[in-house]
Amino acid sequence: MQPQPLETLLEGRRSQPHQLIEVLQDVQAQYGYISEEAIRTISKELGVPLVDVYSVVSFYKAFHLNPRGKNVITMCTGTACHVRGAKLLLNQAISQLGVQPGDMTDDKLFTIEHVNCLGACALGPVVTENGSSHHHMSPGKLRKLIDALRARDEKPEQEADHA
Amino acid sequence: MIQYVSMKIDGAIFKVPKGSSVLDVAIEYGICIPHLCHVPNISDLGACRLCIVEHVVEGRSKVTTSCTLRVQEGMVIKSNTQKIKRLRKNIAELLVSQAPNSKAIQDIAVRCGVKTVRYPFRNDNCVLCGRCVRICREQWQAKAIGFVGRGKDRRVKSPFGVKSETCKMCGNCIDLCPMTITPCDGPMKPGEEYLCGKCESQLMEAESAVDQCIMCGLGEGFQCARH
Repeated sequence: MQPQPLETLLEGRRSQPHQLIEVLQDVQAQYGYISEEAIRTISKELGVPLVDVYSVVSFYKAFHLNPRGKNVITMCTGTACHVRGAKLLLNQAISQLGVQPGDMTDDKLFTIEHVNCLGACALGPVVTENGSSHHHMSPGKLRKLIDALRARDEKPEQEADHA
Repeated sequence: MIQYVSMKIDGAIFKVPKGSSVLDVAIEYGICIPHLCHVPNISDLGACRLCIVEHVVEGRSKVTTSCTLRVQEGMVIKSNTQKIKRLRKNIAELLVSQAPNSKAIQDIAVRCGVKTVRYPFRNDNCVLCGRCVRICREQWQAKAIGFVGRGKDRRVKSPFGVKSETCKMCGNCIDLCPMTITPCDGPMKPGEEYLCGKCESQLMEAESAVDQCIMCGLGEGFQCARH
């Protein structure tokens, strides 16, 4: 699905500074991140100073300044998950994908993130992958999960290459 | 027409214009409330927490920053109780551990009676007082710098970390920054920070005239509103 252009998202919201968060949320949902160009355009169109848009984007965890991979893997590092070995999961993901939390892999497939609590402490350690949660994770299970996701996403490209 | 309200600070009764802040009144009438982030004629943020006072409401006292507290009819303020002194000393201690490389903050620490610093020195060169951000935004209407991030990652930055196109090169952010004047012995290297405390003799007079501004030299480092 092609993301809607920024022009469409700004439709009917120009010169309305109070619409800032809504516009940013839409841009985040459509593009997966908020680019520098988008921030500059939003600042100009809504009449909000650039530094204010930038501080709002950097303040909320829901907004991202860097592009994110197709699959976002979020580790819970809250107290309960930490006690049950969330650190091992994080290390497993970092070593398997070769990126630090918050960065995207070179093939644009994965981003690792860690959050402080997902609110499912009894099920820990919890990992969410693209919004769906996996409970009682172990490094082995996580490895299989990442392999499965990679296999799923790499296949269509290979088929396209053959064709 | 200016409306006046009467209020009490440390037992003294003042008739002051409605809408002014408690800190402004105190400075005007020569009561010493230590402050750092307050800049005259610029909106107050309450960032440094040094100007805390006790606001007594119906017998109960509430500790709050006097720069953001507007005067009200019949208000009772205590600016120099033991509790306030203790809290203020602790705040000054935290500030000096965050940024020991500033004459202004070392001065404040001396003024608030800090003798030892119990916290590890961070030497971070910024205490997020927001003076630069507010002068840029309000006096110059430039909005070139602002607070970025949140919590422990909060920083003063220009958007995307490059010089803002709206920057007017006025340099006022630098003039007002409490970090621009280093302690008299020069900047401290990481690992070698200490509490300066050399101007302690300035306090002799201050102790004899409790809660009065004696125009001590300790405010010069940060343009205390009396200087």
